[in-house]
Amino acid sequence: MSFKYDKNNKYHRLGKNALIVVVSLTVFVLAWWVVSILAHSTVIPTPIKTFDALISFLQDGYLGISAGRYISASLTLFLKGFLLAFVLAVPLGLILGFSKSLNTFVTPIIEVLRPIAPMAWAPVFIYGISYDTGPMLVVFIGIFFPLLTNVIFGVKKIDPSLVDAALTLGASKFHLFTKVMAPSAIPYIMNGIKVGLGVGWMCIVAAEMYNPRGFGVGYCISDMCFNGLWPSTFAMLIIIAALGILTTSLAEYLQKYVSKRMGVE
Amino acid sequence: MFDGSNKEQTSDKGSVSYAEGEDFIHIENLSKTYKRDDSETVAIEDFSINIKKGELISIVGPSGCGKTTILRMIAGLLEPTSGTITVAGHPCDKPGPDRGMVFQDFALMPWRSVIKNVELGMEMAGVPKEERRKRAEEYISIVGLEKFKDARINELSGGMKQRVGIARALVNHPDVLLMDEPFGALDAQTRNLMQAGLIKILDKTDQTIIFITHSVDEAVYLSDRIVVLTKRPAKIKEIIEIPWPRPRDRASPDFTALRKHILDELEKENVLDD
Repeated sequence: MSFKYDKNNKYHRLGKNALIVVVSLTVFVLAWWVVSILAHSTVIPTPIKTFDALISFLQDGYLGISAGRYISASLTLFLKGFLLAFVLAVPLGLILGFSKSLNTFVTPIIEVLRPIAPMAWAPVFIYGISYDTGPMLVVFIGIFFPLLTNVIFGVKKIDPSLVDAALTLGASKFHLFTKVMAPSAIPYIMNGIKVGLGVGWMCIVAAEMYNPRGFGVGYCISDMCFNGLWPSTFAMLIIIAALGILTTSLAEYLQKYVSKRMGVE
Repeated sequence: MFDGSNKEQTSDKGSVSYAEGEDFIHIENLSKTYKRDDSETVAIEDFSINIKKGELISIVGPSGCGKTTILRMIAGLLEPTSGTITVAGHPCDKPGPDRGMVFQDFALMPWRSVIKNVELGMEMAGVPKEERRKRAEEYISIVGLEKFKDARINELSGGMKQRVGIARALVNHPDVLLMDEPFGALDAQTRNLMQAGLIKILDKTDQTIIFITHSVDEAVYLSDRIVVLTKRPAKIKEIIEIPWPRPRDRASPDFTALRKHILDELEKENVLDD
């Protein structure tokens, strides 16, 4: 029996890619293993120790609080921050892309605020407002600006002949906005969401570290670190990475789906 | 399909109805100057023409001479520097569905299906859903796309896309159809098919059409009259009447002679002397 690779076969291609991913991750784990042995330090646990810590965290939680509770606390804050950014950035971006004078008015304000690292806001929001809403606002900032700039860009990138076509079909300003500009900005909005979710997830983990009595994964990992529980710390890194991959792949899937629906693959 | 019932709708704006062959579009002393800081470019100078109802007028001229500028002013997308344009008695100061436009790059909404694209104008005019669907289906069948009415735009070939573009404009019963190099993005074979299709539509209606083209062959094949423009600033160089019935034989001596004449005239304009 012989196997012949056929690059036109979808399953063969998928299989090949899966194989490459497996090999790549294996190389990574092996390299980590070698480093942990060479370093001979408790700070870098071996993959086996980390795996054990991961299992025990998922089974028993940490400090009497279940793993699910830490994870859901972070995801909830993340989702809240995202929703707030979405409901503010999308309409604002559409309006700013549509109205030149308003855009000129708001752009300086945005340009002053945008370069501030979202994490710079963390102490302000967390100590200044509250431990609960603070991290959520940091996520909001992290997602808001990439989303806003993408939406504005999307409205500006609109094909001028689509606008002409709509006008010759009798479009009012309102129609131009609802029937042409908003729909043609949707793929850019999706791209903004994708970028924003990536930034937002980094923000939530970091922001939670400021919270001395939080439940999130960020709090959890910093507490483990302080207590020298290195295998658990590494296990948390894996969880954070997995959740990050999950959110970005979800966003990527959504983006592809929407682009297809909008006829702009 | 293109019967009297459609035509009534064109005149429900309280305007006088025009019979085929009557002067219908008046363009007088039309000029367009583009101003930018302290430089001025005169694009169109003193362009006047009367167009009859049911006529197909082509405008040909050297590249970049401002053919499209004239069309965009009729569409109301661009304001003339001076001069007046009236279509069916109405001034063309802003765009509207009474002057349907067909674009070289199709300008279809990719997120809408074929039928939804054709319905767009009626949707914005508040035509009830049932009626809108019925009329859209009628025009989709005129352009021969019944099987594709629910298709997405990116599933269509270039020729099919432009047929959607034509149906989208015609469904609103425009007084005039403004076609801006409509077949310029298509391959030669599709182009010929589209020209034949347009002739069929002309046979069934008294649709007035202003047609911008690069192709002299296309202009001679389709037009009742051809307006030849000079290079910038564009003025009317010559207006040629073509009384021959359609469809026309591209190989006939008259056809080739006229084509050569126009090409020669354009050649003189294309001399690089500045």
